[in-house]
Amino acid sequence: MANYTLTASSPLAGLQQEYQGVTLAEVTNKALVSISVPLGGETALQTAVTATYGVTLPVTGKSSKTSVDNALFAGMSRDQCWLFFETDNIRPVNIITEKLGASGYYTDQSDSWVMLSLAGEKSRDVLERICPINLDPDVFLIGDVARTSMEHMGSIILRESEHNYLLCSARSSANSFVHAIELSIKNVI
Amino acid sequence: MKMTSQIQQVNRVSQGLLNNNTEQSLSFEFNGKSMTGYAGDTLASALLANGEKLVARSFKYHRPRGIFSAGSEEPNALVELRKGAYQEPNTRATIIELFDGLEAKSQNYRGSLKYDLMAINDRLSPFLSAGFYYKTFMWPKAFWEKLYEPIIRSSAGLGRLSAIEDGDSYDKGFLHCDLLIIGAGPAGLAAALQASRSGAKVLVADEDFLLGGRLNAENHGVAGAAGHEWAASTVAELNSLPNVRIMPRTSIYGSFDHGIYGALERKTDHLASSGGKPRQVLWRIYSKQALLCAGSTERPIAFANNDRPGVMLAGSVRTYVNRYGVTAGQKVAVFTNNDDGWRTAVDLSDKGVEISAIIDTRDKAPLAAPKGAAVMMGGSVINTAGRHGIREITLSNGQKVPTDCLAVSGGWNPNVHLTCHQRGKPEWQDDISAFVPGHALPVGMQVAGAANGTLTLASALAEGHAKASEMVSNIGYTPSNSLAPDSNDESCAVSAFWYVDSGKDRAWLDLQNDVTVKDIKLSHQEGFRSVEHLKRYTTLGMATDQGKTSNVNALAVMADCTGKTIPETGTTIFRPPYTPVAIGALAGRARGKDFRPTRLTPSHRWAEAQGAVFVETGMWLRAQWFPQAGETTWRESVDREVIQTRKSVGICDVTTLGKIDIQGRDAAAFLNKIYANAFAKLPVGKVRYGLMLREDGIAMDDGTTARFSDTHFVMTTTTANAVSVFRHMEFARQCLWPDLDVQLLSATEQFAQYAVAGPNSRKLLQKIVDADYAIDNESFPFMACAEITVCNGIPARLFRISFSGELAYEIAVPARYGDSLFRVLMEAGQEYDVVPYGTEALGVMRIEKGHAAGNELNGQITAQNLGMGRLVSKKKDCIGNKLSERSALNTDNIVELVGFRPVDVTEMLSSGAHFIAIGAEASTENDQGWMSSVCYSPELKMSVGIGFIQNGSQRLGEKVRAVDLVRGKDIEVEITSAHHVDPEGERLRG
Amino acid sequence: MIINHPLLGPRDASEFVYLGDAALMKRPDWQADDAAQQFYEYLYLRDNIAGQHRELWYHEQGDRSWLVVTRNTETHEITAVELARDVATREGHAV
Repeated sequence: MANYTLTASSPLAGLQQEYQGVTLAEVTNKALVSISVPLGGETALQTAVTATYGVTLPVTGKSSKTSVDNALFAGMSRDQCWLFFETDNIRPVNIITEKLGASGYYTDQSDSWVMLSLAGEKSRDVLERICPINLDPDVFLIGDVARTSMEHMGSIILRESEHNYLLCSARSSANSFVHAIELSIKNVI
Repeated sequence: MKMTSQIQQVNRVSQGLLNNNTEQSLSFEFNGKSMTGYAGDTLASALLANGEKLVARSFKYHRPRGIFSAGSEEPNALVELRKGAYQEPNTRATIIELFDGLEAKSQNYRGSLKYDLMAINDRLSPFLSAGFYYKTFMWPKAFWEKLYEPIIRSSAGLGRLSAIEDGDSYDKGFLHCDLLIIGAGPAGLAAALQASRSGAKVLVADEDFLLGGRLNAENHGVAGAAGHEWAASTVAELNSLPNVRIMPRTSIYGSFDHGIYGALERKTDHLASSGGKPRQVLWRIYSKQALLCAGSTERPIAFANNDRPGVMLAGSVRTYVNRYGVTAGQKVAVFTNNDDGWRTAVDLSDKGVEISAIIDTRDKAPLAAPKGAAVMMGGSVINTAGRHGIREITLSNGQKVPTDCLAVSGGWNPNVHLTCHQRGKPEWQDDISAFVPGHALPVGMQVAGAANGTLTLASALAEGHAKASEMVSNIGYTPSNSLAPDSNDESCAVSAFWYVDSGKDRAWLDLQNDVTVKDIKLSHQEGFRSVEHLKRYTTLGMATDQGKTSNVNALAVMADCTGKTIPETGTTIFRPPYTPVAIGALAGRARGKDFRPTRLTPSHRWAEAQGAVFVETGMWLRAQWFPQAGETTWRESVDREVIQTRKSVGICDVTTLGKIDIQGRDAAAFLNKIYANAFAKLPVGKVRYGLMLREDGIAMDDGTTARFSDTHFVMTTTTANAVSVFRHMEFARQCLWPDLDVQLLSATEQFAQYAVAGPNSRKLLQKIVDADYAIDNESFPFMACAEITVCNGIPARLFRISFSGELAYEIAVPARYGDSLFRVLMEAGQEYDVVPYGTEALGVMRIEKGHAAGNELNGQITAQNLGMGRLVSKKKDCIGNKLSERSALNTDNIVELVGFRPVDVTEMLSSGAHFIAIGAEASTENDQGWMSSVCYSPELKMSVGIGFIQNGSQRLGEKVRAVDLVRGKDIEVEITSAHHVDPEGERLRG
Repeated sequence: MIINHPLLGPRDASEFVYLGDAALMKRPDWQADDAAQQFYEYLYLRDNIAGQHRELWYHEQGDRSWLVVTRNTETHEITAVELARDVATREGHAV
């Protein structure tokens, strides 16, 4: 019988770095579940989301925040919203299912990504070296989200506040991703 | 100024625009000689200040050469800058910013620069004219590679590489703007002011470190101030605005589709050391609009011996005196065909430099000549003298004039280069005798100022201002109502005059490539009439300067030969880059391990600690085998891993397999279309092997798909095809069957997955699977799958599938537990002597078992070839179904996958061998198929293989030869079943 | 090149993967009498157009949408970009 215990480890072991004008830290307290919209089920899903989270589903490239579970809905494509939220439940899909029932298709993505917070007034100077998206603060607004490629790695960038960004990239290449950011920091700061 | 440096800098006549920078001198070394200059100097201006005339030897003839220009068009003054790992060849002295401790050397000479041993080439010039390569070194043929080419290569040429890895780093980046302004001369600055005042996001790039362009080189006023002062205050204003980014030392080197521009920013080239920061940054600029204000480049006039050090472009001589306070000579003569040349004489004279003569090809003097200058109208310079620098010129009236600098102006060519990068063709404009931008400009680009042929100052300012207004309103801004900066238009009349007949002497057109007027005439005579042919035959316009000072003149000579006008003769268009871009900058940070990302599985660190040998599979690093103490060859390790797995239990990390989460009401129907075999009726809790075809009937990928609920499937793909299969399925979902309710998500990264294989695999798993889940053979038979928990409630997925042919499972847990699960499995498996196995052992077992993999699914193979023809359902539509029925793919003689064993069991098979009948010649006509995968089977104690041979399934027991001409092998083999081990499949069902 | 994604705005072409002629969306009916001929034409016979070309691009480093891009092959000018799914639904090629 099972006398063994499994311990969880995050891709970057909770990395945290401070530099002049920017901090880089691994985010380990967030679950990520993708919610796909069933064909023709937009209204039903929207109704369920509004009823339980009190927000409307964002369009692609935008996000909406709610205080429920400190959650953020990010519009990733026309039929997909990704939900970032705080939980220590190892089955985050169950939480969504409880709230939204069968109004969407849910896939746990929590372990698929390394999440990093890049914060501080130099963050855009750092990102300029790796991110092809136009991050002009008047163009990429707070709450905007984009999926793109940085240094050949698929990435998600979300603007959380004036100078703070959440960056996600594949868990398996987390070391390469953080290296790309650290190299940018070294080159810029 | 300090007295010491004043004495040394014999040609420094004033502070120029260096202002306070002259408080402290900078020391530098050129060809080992110590000199001084000031901050704000270029290497060229500092060399001229120190009276250094001879700075280089020419490409082909090793003729003495001096500084010719004051900008990036420089053909002569190429130097090797810095030392050791930081040495950079072919750097133009005219754009190198002086720093303290700078070291530079001339290149392309042997012995000393002054007494270059290779100058002998100049005496041999009759044999080295245009096309000499093609004529002189033709015979005997064998001599070319061994003798001629090495000699030519070592004697001709530019700088040398250090052959040491570049010690500097480079970076790349992305910039976005509404309006990109290329060049910060008068037009560019006027445009930047207007656009920024209108609220647009403006990016201004200039290759120079001091912005202002000609305003820093001349003495015109703008808006009531000296031109250079207006430039400085304008730059200061622009720098203070949040919507403007000014990038000095930045060359826009290329114009690409849809408003994308390439830029090279020289970050630390002006510093003694880069201090660990990237030396240069290559930017990709996304612009909505772009205004080209790149100015113009002066062109020379060709005449006999016009290449001596001291013969320079007139505007450059003026730049040196006005901007750097340096005169290029003590007695300067001016040779011109236009009004602008006269202003050089005036400016020099104003600084106290003696003007010996002004020679104008025209009849009427446009300005008053400076005091003391002899004026010759309607004349020309017909020759020069002076061994290492000009000493004297001969005029067309026979008069000889002593002079140590001849400033030549043949008019100005607009810098149209970037307008041509997308096939734009320049057009000839008669009044300035030059090419101007054509009509087909890159989308979003306009041109203003001298680059547009607007050569005079007030007009250039006005044009920059007006174009900026127009362009910002194009993208939705209201132009500011401010006016263009006020100035005057200077006189600029020009009369086309290209070259003076030089008789027996050589008149040089392309100084960088040693091309003369005679070379052009010769190539015309030999039939090279098209400009493009001319260029290639004579090498005109090649190398670092790309003919910036020579192309138009050569065209004029060509036009003379043909009796046509210049526009009729043609023009060359320009390609990127505008100025050279170092390979290091193009590579950016993608060097060494940073070339591409590395993907690691969650158990990587554990495997590393075990001393695993890793193999790159795509971007993944996978454990290939795990050597143990005493094992000296990979085969020992791999054989042990296979034997132990087949005997007891082994674990392999298969996390890298592609995993796709498939959900939706129509998920089953969708899979039925994606896979060639039937999937609609796969029961929940079951896994099925699936073969995916391309639409042409060729196998694309294979794997297994598990069903967890009516609407939920999980597919695995091969590691290599994970991305392309996902793309293919999205194509099917969005483009072919948009009415199906199905959603796809990549789950490759989400799960760590391990194969647990071998007769003890179930016993091992039972130690970690929670009690709620029964995995005995009856409850959890072959091809079962389930969502379970392990180790007290951790969610997992269990699949009873086997690649090895043994009783086997694959177990997946959220990636965060992957490392831990592997360690737990190893610990729990101790009692069974569990062994980790790598990709080699995995490969051995699959070959022993006859499973197809990447070697088999090579893009030529159908289901029929794999012996799976009957799997392809004829009762449904699926991708590849129809075209797999094509007759040629279904003859009796198609190749089929079978096994092969050597008749002599000591022989080692090789993959890639082709099958030939015994006694037949090893020829293409007799080719019957090929061996796709081989391994040494520890179980059978011999080399075994699988491969494709015509009609293989009907030929079991037959003997053929496996001929591998590459490795020199010719082995007799017996055709067998592909299932070398456990052909009945009893083990995996046990 | 830049592709102006209908949902995401201008994105660098390096984020996309090119497939080819948008006619690939018009997959023939497998049960037609001349299905073999139709599939052969569908897969192998493409027009190689100098000028306006409707072609498929996949936003792999983005929202994973397939797009129908109308591009002039001579000038690279892009005059229309649509979600392929909308085109497929509208033009009714779904079988």
